[in-house]
Amino acid sequence: MTTFYGIPGAAPFWHWTTLVHFLLVALAGGFSFYTAVLGTKDVESGRRLAGWALLFIILDLFMLWAESPARFRFTHFWLFLSFRPAAAIWWGAWGLAVSALALLLVVLRLGPARTWFGILLVSSTIVLLYPGYALAANAARPLWDHLLLAFFPVTALLLSLALLVAWRGEEALRWLQAVSWISLLLALLYPVALASGGADQMRALALLLRRGLWFGAGTLLILLAALLARKQPALAAACAFAGALLVRSWIVEEGQHSFFAHGF
Amino acid sequence: MKLTRRKFVTLSAASVGAIALSGRADALKAPWTVPRKWYEDEVKTVYSYCENCFWKCGITVKVAGGKVRKIDGQKDNPKSRGRLCPRGQAGVAQLYDPDRLKRPLIRVEGSQRGEGKYREASWEEALDYIAERMLKIKDEYGPEAIAFFGHGSGDTWFVEYLPAAWGSPNAAKPAVSVCTAPRETASQWTFGRGVGGHEPIDWENTDYIVLIGHHIGEDTHNTQLQDFSAALKRGARLVVVDPRFSTAASKADRWLPIKPGTDTALLLAWINVLISEGLYQREYVEKYTTGFDELARHVAGKTPEWAAEITEIPADTIRAVAREMAAHAPRAVLPPSRHTVWYGNDTQRMRALYILNALLGNYGVPGGFYLAKSPYLEKYPHPPFPLEPAAGGCSGSSGGGEEVPEGYKPRADKGKFFAKTTAIQELIEPMISGEPYPIRGLLCYGTNLFHSIPNVPRTKEALKKLDLYVAIDVLPMEHVMWADVILPECTYLERYDDLVAIAHKTPFIELRQPAVEPLWDSKPGWWIMRELAVRLGLEKFVPWKNIEEYLDTRLQAIGSSLEEMKKKGTIVQRGRPYLKDWERWHMNPFKTPSGKIELYSETFAEHGYDPLPDYTPPMEPPAGFYRLLYGRTPVHSFAKTQNNWVLMELKPENEVWINRAEGEKLGLSQGEYVWLENDQGIREGPVKVRLTERIRRDCVYLVHGFGHKSRGTRIAYGRGASDNYLQTRYVLDKISGGAGLRNNFVKIVPGAGRPKLKRVAQLARERRL
Amino acid sequence: MARYAMVIDLEACVGCGACAAACVLENEVPPGHNRLWIRQRELGEFPDLTVEYRPEQCLHCENPPCVPACPTGASYQSDDGLVLIKYERCIACGACIAACPYDARFMNPAGYVDKCTFCEHRVKNGQDPACVETCPTGCRVFGDLDDPESPVRVLLEEAERIDVLRPEMGTSPKLLYVNTPSKRGLAAAEEVEL
Repeated sequence: MTTFYGIPGAAPFWHWTTLVHFLLVALAGGFSFYTAVLGTKDVESGRRLAGWALLFIILDLFMLWAESPARFRFTHFWLFLSFRPAAAIWWGAWGLAVSALALLLVVLRLGPARTWFGILLVSSTIVLLYPGYALAANAARPLWDHLLLAFFPVTALLLSLALLVAWRGEEALRWLQAVSWISLLLALLYPVALASGGADQMRALALLLRRGLWFGAGTLLILLAALLARKQPALAAACAFAGALLVRSWIVEEGQHSFFAHGF
Repeated sequence: MKLTRRKFVTLSAASVGAIALSGRADALKAPWTVPRKWYEDEVKTVYSYCENCFWKCGITVKVAGGKVRKIDGQKDNPKSRGRLCPRGQAGVAQLYDPDRLKRPLIRVEGSQRGEGKYREASWEEALDYIAERMLKIKDEYGPEAIAFFGHGSGDTWFVEYLPAAWGSPNAAKPAVSVCTAPRETASQWTFGRGVGGHEPIDWENTDYIVLIGHHIGEDTHNTQLQDFSAALKRGARLVVVDPRFSTAASKADRWLPIKPGTDTALLLAWINVLISEGLYQREYVEKYTTGFDELARHVAGKTPEWAAEITEIPADTIRAVAREMAAHAPRAVLPPSRHTVWYGNDTQRMRALYILNALLGNYGVPGGFYLAKSPYLEKYPHPPFPLEPAAGGCSGSSGGGEEVPEGYKPRADKGKFFAKTTAIQELIEPMISGEPYPIRGLLCYGTNLFHSIPNVPRTKEALKKLDLYVAIDVLPMEHVMWADVILPECTYLERYDDLVAIAHKTPFIELRQPAVEPLWDSKPGWWIMRELAVRLGLEKFVPWKNIEEYLDTRLQAIGSSLEEMKKKGTIVQRGRPYLKDWERWHMNPFKTPSGKIELYSETFAEHGYDPLPDYTPPMEPPAGFYRLLYGRTPVHSFAKTQNNWVLMELKPENEVWINRAEGEKLGLSQGEYVWLENDQGIREGPVKVRLTERIRRDCVYLVHGFGHKSRGTRIAYGRGASDNYLQTRYVLDKISGGAGLRNNFVKIVPGAGRPKLKRVAQLARERRL
Repeated sequence: MARYAMVIDLEACVGCGACAAACVLENEVPPGHNRLWIRQRELGEFPDLTVEYRPEQCLHCENPPCVPACPTGASYQSDDGLVLIKYERCIACGACIAACPYDARFMNPAGYVDKCTFCEHRVKNGQDPACVETCPTGCRVFGDLDDPESPVRVLLEEAERIDVLRPEMGTSPKLLYVNTPSKRGLAAAEEVEL
């Protein structure tokens, strides 16, 4: 058997506040992206959505600051004084900051809105991509497979679409259905991706099979959303939101599991 | 969606704000800075010696910002050599333990002993209370009616100084009869010398080591572990004889999983092989020993085959080890280990061990036992005590003469066994029965009565009968909360103590001095003793006004001074480690009646004991029970350290080791919690199960010192099981007075469930000073 | 500049925990977290047994995954091969904790990520790390890999075998284990009965 004097640093390091962040950053990224897409076609409709996108970004940034144990040292400004292209969170900080600035300028009707929407398109893409990268970059956490580079942006869009359906109606519904099917596909590919990996990934797959009830439930909800999109839009939106939230939260939560403490 | 933007924003901001403030309150202290580390401030160093076990390593205490921050070894100290074990390192946590006794406490009038009802008192009141009652007992029953129990550095004040001045022979240390008595007595009557507190094994020159149940690596006597490791690194061979695959066994070339209680048979078989194959050191034996012929006759039939049946070790292995030992002699040694009170026949086992060492020609020779010399140190010139200190102890002295001065009684356990030192567990009976004479009072210094003396129900019965019970201690352990008066001693980091004199290859003297002032209203042991002595009318025996004067006088007498020693910490002198060193000066180290190593003990024969060791089988476990074995973890010391958060974070509880196949037969799963019930119906636990391959099927094993029951020790409380509470039976060794503790048997009772306790880390965080 | 490393002789280590206790005091490690811990594994069946006592802590990798993950540059690699943290720059995001394959990092309640620093504050004064200095078995050595006379080079040269944790991670650890008790190297979880 294995016994310890003292314990490895195997406890979870991200808690429920981080799960909330992953929700808020998805909404921030998704809404910013849609704002940018809309805005490049029609400035006014883009402007109407911009306020919400900006709100989510502000909430997310505030959340990130508030949940940080370093909050009262206000060290977050270092993010903007350093150049760390290997660090997902560095990209995220810049992506969110630039997006917020662009959105603010749009909302305040300062300067050329189309240019800001153009910039927003790039920065919001960064915001969509960086959370997946923040997870997948960790070779030490096999549950955070490279598939997440696609899965997290897609589910971020899904979360945003679920809220947008209330607001944008028919057009958003078509997108909701399409993105639901893509999310479902990626969710089903997830165990396959794990199974095709090395010993670590096999351990991760075993954990998914043993403890993945909520992941499974989330996947089912996404399926429901895809199927019900046309007939029951409100329900579909709710299922999409809940499903995406569940699978993402499960992955972030369980993915912290230390295989080192219990293995090797 | 009815949610307006404004409502949403407000709600979100409020919840996020709540998250922000839910961080630790003290992050708000100077939250915009990173806290400074202690070593960034000015650091003062103070030399002292450790008190976290009884090895007494020289330490360097580092103080910053008025607080002790770190403890390290002393480079030039022959015990620590600049290194420390985990207990020594963690001493800081004991100093700042908020559960410590803070002020004298007096038991509330009318309450029962054990109820735990106390009121605070001043030192004056508490000391007057004690003195008044002690004098009353003396008037009615005589001074011998007060017993003095103690262990640790302060035992010089309370178990040697005070009882001798007071006139009570009933002073006892558990270190004797619950630890070293058999090995000291056997050594005295074999070699004419004791073993002593710093076992004189010449590790640096030895090539072959055989450990009999000696679990070095779990028992962490710093120097011994250093030397043992160095010897193995050098290529010394190691054989470990133990029913359990100890840490030492994991480093061994051979592990002999011996049947518990049969070690003497193994030793006799080895003696048999050495003699019958002519492999012993002839010249040495002829020159330095007597009784060889009798020995040879005695072991004639004790062949490896005979021993194999008894010990369950194959005869070939037994024979091979004997031959290997002999091939490496005299640089082959069987060290005597510390805790030797196993089955009640332990003096004879130790005799066999020493005889074997003698046949290997290693006593007083490089690679075997060296001849430890006491340092030159003068006592403080006080008037002669009415009585000689009688408690003995692992630091040498095997007790006073059997001459009892006029007007005083002999010790209350006299006649129960042969050795001259007191046996602490035999002094309990007179408290209950009044035979041979009543003991009515007890002063207990730093000795956990319920975790060190077997048969706890009897101890509790005795405590209930006393007229006076005083506890002097650092923490509110169970037994402390039974006393009439509780006196809070400060920790070793806050006080001076007497000089420590270590008999050694290079004898040395260590100083203890305080690193910080005593916390709360705690006081040093020397001060308590002196104040009490004055109130007892013994002022003339404590002519020194304070400890500095006492220490300085002693040091001046050897050409040093307190000032000098405070700067050095340790004074090292020259030794006389080998026979050739003694012979050069025409001195004989063997203070036996014959002046030689006595393989055959005339003295034992005269007193009706076996002059040569015999194997006597121990009690066997009843069906369905396992023999309870116990030992150490390197992270803890006895029952002392289980309230130390640093050490408890490393090891928060003990587990019951049981052979995996046995455990599975009982349907146990790894890590489940069970009760242990002994064959007299006493239950302990809940304790975690450790299914392991590392132990025989007929015994189970517990690390000693857990199972604390005092809620006052908030970290220690309720974790693990106490081996001592399960040791209700002991077998008295009639020669040494040792209490053989391994004749207790337990069965496993499943279904205890994990106790609901806070995590150690949480308790530590809540309570840090 | 130096290339600091630590070597632990597992044949000598008895898992006493002196290093773990010394570290807590030297580095003010808060309760509930460890910079350094001991893993004990028993292998085999009665009576053919092996026990491995293995201290674990930050390995100060030559190719540390935690450094690139840090978004502010608080986690960095010094010129002499130590992986350190500038606490004043740390935003406590935990990205480095996620990146470490060895569970070496933890969130210090004081508001920054913390881990073993090879006692950089002592090393810069020419002293050994606290764990090395206190070890009663002498199984730990510390020194400069580029100095052929350093204790680490000496021990590595004498060693019968040298192992590192999770070599497949490509981290090139600078805490090396020598002379594992088991002939198969570091005791793996699969070999150990639960």
